[in-house]
This record gives sequence, structure tokens and C-alpha cells, in this order.
Amino acid sequence: MPPIPGSGLAKGLAVTLRTMTKKTVTAQYPDVQPELPPRSRGVIALFEENCTVCMLCARECPDWCIYIDSHKETVPAAAPGGRERSRNVLDRFAIDFSLCMYCGICIEVCPFDALFWSPEFEYAETDILELTHERDKLRAWMWTVPEPPALDPGAEEPKEIAAARKTAEKLEAQRAQEAQQAQEAQQAQEAQQTQQAQQTKKEAEGEE
Amino acid sequence: MTLAATAAHSAHSAYSVLAAQPANPAHSGFLSPTGIEIAFVLVGIATLGAALVTVTTKQLVHAALWLVVALGGLAVEYLLLTAEFIAWVQVLIYVGSVVVLLLFGLMLTKAPIGRSPDADSGNRWAALAVAAASAGALVWVVVDAFRTTWIGLDGPAQGSTEVTGSFLFRHWVLPFEALSVLLLAALVGAIVLSRKRGKEQS
Amino acid sequence: MNDALDVALRLVIVFAVFMVLPLVVGQTEHKVMAHMQGRLGPMYAGGFHGWAQLVADGVKFAQKEDIVPAEADRRIFQLAPAVALLPYLLVLVAVPIGPGEGAVGQVVDAGIFFVLAVMGVGVLGSLMAGWASANKFSLLGGLRTAAQLLAYELPMLLAAASVAMAAGTVSLPGILDAFEWWWLPWQIVGALVFFVAGLAELQRPPFDMPVADSEIIFGAYTEYTGLRFALFLLAEYAGIVVLCALTTVLFLGGWHGPFGADGLGWVWTLLKVAVLAFVVIWLRVSYPRLREDQLQKLAWTTLIPLALAQIALTGIVKVAIN
Repeated sequence: MPPIPGSGLAKGLAVTLRTMTKKTVTAQYPDVQPELPPRSRGVIALFEENCTVCMLCARECPDWCIYIDSHKETVPAAAPGGRERSRNVLDRFAIDFSLCMYCGICIEVCPFDALFWSPEFEYAETDILELTHERDKLRAWMWTVPEPPALDPGAEEPKEIAAARKTAEKLEAQRAQEAQQAQEAQQAQEAQQTQQAQQTKKEAEGEE
Repeated sequence: MTLAATAAHSAHSAYSVLAAQPANPAHSGFLSPTGIEIAFVLVGIATLGAALVTVTTKQLVHAALWLVVALGGLAVEYLLLTAEFIAWVQVLIYVGSVVVLLLFGLMLTKAPIGRSPDADSGNRWAALAVAAASAGALVWVVVDAFRTTWIGLDGPAQGSTEVTGSFLFRHWVLPFEALSVLLLAALVGAIVLSRKRGKEQS
Repeated sequence: MNDALDVALRLVIVFAVFMVLPLVVGQTEHKVMAHMQGRLGPMYAGGFHGWAQLVADGVKFAQKEDIVPAEADRRIFQLAPAVALLPYLLVLVAVPIGPGEGAVGQVVDAGIFFVLAVMGVGVLGSLMAGWASANKFSLLGGLRTAAQLLAYELPMLLAAASVAMAAGTVSLPGILDAFEWWWLPWQIVGALVFFVAGLAELQRPPFDMPVADSEIIFGAYTEYTGLRFALFLLAEYAGIVVLCALTTVLFLGGWHGPFGADGLGWVWTLLKVAVLAFVVIWLRVSYPRLREDQLQKLAWTTLIPLALAQIALTGIVKVAIN
């Protein structure tokens, strides 16, 4: 059956009318802050305790907007007679957000989890130079980083946790083994002592 | 020339309606300066001026717009002659449609802003002579026909839609129908002409 | 003296309506269009749901520099907005909003011809603007305006003529006095043709080919800024008010209503105008723009035959009744 002429026009009108009666989805931004999920690309935060100044982030950055200065320090040997070790110390870590294109490559490549996405986005400035966030500012952003979202119920265990758990289990197993060994040794010793005591007793009786 | 012919023609139809009204003896004296008559003369002068500018200006689109003023002035004259219906039809047909068509055509010709150097016609004197002759003839006919007819301005409008309609369809049905046949012929002719060209092209 | 006062009062009221109603329609368009698209529309100006957005817009337009392009035909360019706007003011004078002589600015004997003629003059403003701007987009817009006007003037006139035949008069209050409720189904085709042709004459979407902002920027208004541009916009919204008022008066019975027609006639008129204005906005949101050839085809092959059929029907019924 061919459609009634004009039914398409009526359908169009119906769609707009229905939309009008529905609730709108507009976010009232300045009045109501948006609820952004973790890892939203707002600003990049630095957790400098994890940074080893490996420079991977600065090298991978397509915009060359990460500035890192560092120097080497020698650490005295931990144990007497050991070797002295050298260590990188971070002097400056800055990201120029006027150049940054928020690709997130630096965060991806960081092997030590020193960089994080924070959903904060209200850091517009009137002076473009102020968009270069220095180390302390990047650290301050760190406290705005939300917890990562929970994994799916059936998901594979995260590698870090799996590794840590494996180590812990191994350690526990080792400790348990050691404890068992120690117990066995003790039991053996006790048994020996008892045997000895009995022997001495017998000998004494025999002498009588 | 077109303008003069148009004006005279429309005026003729308006007068023919009014002519059938009984003469009003209350208005005595030739050209007694009542307010409406003064306004009539002033608007007439303005209309004439606009019409003159229409044919003398060298800016094509300005000419069309001055034509709007002239036609609008004519409509006002009709109003002053109590021919309300004719006045609004004048605005509707001439200002609303004919001038729009004219402007449409002018835009297609890429009329320049400013003076067109070739806006002058070589046979302007001949045109003037023909225009003067036709205007003279029309004025003479109108004046001769309605010399002693007066319009009563008091009381109900004598050029109202109802009066105009009944006169048109009671006394002037034949000319009306003849005109419509003429227009139909023109329409058919236009279609035939455009058809023919299409065949030649294909 | 009393007469002068009466005339002045009527003119002031008409002028006030002319200034207020288009703004109300504009604000309604902002809000209705937004909600139909799942948005909120203006929310800040004036505090409560952005009610003063158009006032703010007006202030902005007034502050802008009034630019006339160097190559433009200066005087015509400057005159065009007034030519576009003023006819709608004149039309409003003749529209009756209630029963009796007190509810109309000025009784015009040939009311239908008056309003249609004067509305036709308004389009000259767009043509003047299109030609005088010295801009190819404006010229294209002007051309399309002219073509559209020529196509849609005829069905509009024919549809109005049908009502005039039914009522036996061309005066707007006269038509309302003769109105009966069963005219509504009788003249429904004419009403649709009139409304659609009116929309096309106002260049409202979906008939906004002449101003199509996505292809010829804003047609004839491309070069306009500031107050003159605002006047063109105001003319568009005044045109909506006028078209809705005319459709109400001619086809929907104006101040006639199921009850309270004597005292509250003007409420019925305003209500009907408001509903029609909503439909105008609704159509704008729902439909895409018609192509130029579709525009012409709709006018010449659909609307004009429909209008002629309506006239024939009107004539037959009229003769049958008599």
C-alpha cells in the first residue's frame, strides 16, 4: 500500500513536537559544574615521586610542549664496600598548555605512572605565558585526579595487582616453608633429645 | 509614454465609474480651492515629477523605483477621487507585480550601479511626439466626456468596491470580457512563442 | 478634538502592537525552536529564562557601526529597510481584532486589496536591498525574492478572493460579520493555500531560498549591519504577525469563538494568531529548505490549481445556498 500523501510531512511535525515535550539535555555549565569521568582530557598532572627523568614523555610529545631539566646526583653506597650509584634529580618539569594538543601520548608512554589525566579544565588565562604550568602547578593538579573507574566484574585482574599478588603469595609460601622447616628441625631436635635422655637412662639402669 | 498611457487609461476607467453618479450641485464653481483639491493638485505635481524623472534618469533601477513613486502617486489620486477600490488594485497590480517583474528583468540584465552610458535612445524625439500625441488624445477624450460631471465627496464613497463591482458587471460586462479574451490571447501567444523556441533548440 | 484624540490613540495602540508582538514571536521562536531541538535557548538575558534576549539583541544592533559598502547605491541601500518594514505597520492598521468599529485601527472598504497590495510593496524593500548592495549574493537573493513573489502572489490573491466571494464583501470587518462556523471546512483548502503562499512571500523556512544563509549568506541582507539589519529582521517577524492575523481574520473567524465572542473577541483573535505563529515556527524547525525549482513547481502546479478549485467550490456552494 502506498503511503498516504503528506504522511511524511506529518511525521516530521510529530518528531519536533515530541522533542519539544521532552526534557532538554543542555548542561547549564557555569551554573552547574559538569560531572566528568576519570581520565577526561582536562589537564595533565605530574606525580613527581614516580618520575625518573627518563625523558620519554618529552621525546614522544608531538608538539614538544614538555620541558624537563635535571641533574645527576651520586648516592653513597648503601652497604659498606658497595658501589656508589648515580641518580637523576628533577629540576624542572613544565607543560606548555598553549601548545599541548591533549593527545595524551605522554601519559601513555610514561613507564612509571608519573603523568595522569585530570578532568579539571578551567585554567584559561589572559596571558599566554601563564599557560605554561610549572612543576608545582602540575603537582597541584595531581590532587584533583579522581580514582580510576572500577573494572568490570568479570574482567581480568590488572597486571600490577596480579604481579604484586604473585610476589606476595610467593613470599608467603616461602615464609610458610621456612616456618615448616624450622618446626621440623625443632621437632627433630626434640626427638633427638628425648632419645638421648632415654639412652642415658638405660645406660644408667644397665650400670646398676 | 507607457506611463502616460497607463495613467490615462486607469483614470479613464475610474472616471467612467464615477460618471454615472448624479452630479452634485453642492460643489459649485470651477476649481474652488477645497483642501482635497489642493492635495489633489500637489500629489499630481509630485506624480508628474516622478514620472519625468523616470523617463529622464540614466540609472535604470532608479527609473524603476521612480516609477513606483509615480504609480503610488496615481493611487493616491484615485483615493482622493474616492475610487478606493481602483487605488488599491493599482498598488496591487502595478507596484506589487509589474514593477517587481520590471526589477526582476533589470537584475537579469546586470544593470550597473550608477549611470548607464547607453541609456539614451536615438529616437527620443519620435518617442516624445508619440507620447504627447497619445496623452493629448486621452486628455481630450476624458475632458470632453466628463466636462460637466461632479463628484460628491460627502456621504458614502462613490468609488467603493460594491459600486465599482456592480457598474463593472452591469454596464461594462462586454468590454470587461473583451479585455479578458485579449489577455488570454496574449497568454496563449506567449506560450506558443516560448514553445517554438524550445523546439528549435532541441 | 475628540476625533483627533481617538485617531491618535488608535495609532498609538497599533504602533505598540507592532513593536511588541513581533518581539514576542521572535522570543517564542527562540524558545520553541530550542526545545524542539533538545536545547534550552537563551537563559540569561533578563534573568528569567532569557526573556529579554531580543531587547539585548536590539541594544547590540544599535551599538554596531552602520556600514554602507563603497560601491553600493547609497541612498537606495539606506532606504530599503524602511520600505521593507513600514508596509506591515500599515497593514496592521486595517486588521480588526474584535467585533464592532472600536476594535480596528481604521476600517478600509477594500480591506483585502489594501492589505495584499501593501504587503506586496514590502517585498520591494528586499529587491532594493538586493540590487543596491553591489554584491553578487545580494543580487542572487533579490532575483530569487522577485521570482518567489511573482509565483506566490497569485495563489494568495485567489485564496483571498474565495473568502471575499463567500462573504460577499472585501472589507475585513465585513467578512468577519458574515462568518459562520461551517466556513471553516468550506474554505479549508483556501486557508492552507493562503497560509503557505504567505509563508513563501515572507521568505520563511521552508521557503527561505532567497535568504538561504548557508549558500548565499543572507541573500539581499548580506551587506547590512546594525540597526538597518535589525529592521529587516523586525520586518520578517512583523510579517509573521501580519500573515497570522490575516489568516485568522479571513479563514478562522477572527473574534468568533465558541463562547464570549462579544466581550472577549480580541482574546480569541490573539489566541488564533498565537497558534498560527507557533505553526510558522514549527514548520521552520521541521522542514528542510525547498530548492528553487521545487518552490516554483509547488506554486504553479499545486497551489494555483488548488486555489482555483477552492474558488469553484465557493461559487457552487454560494449559488446553491442562494
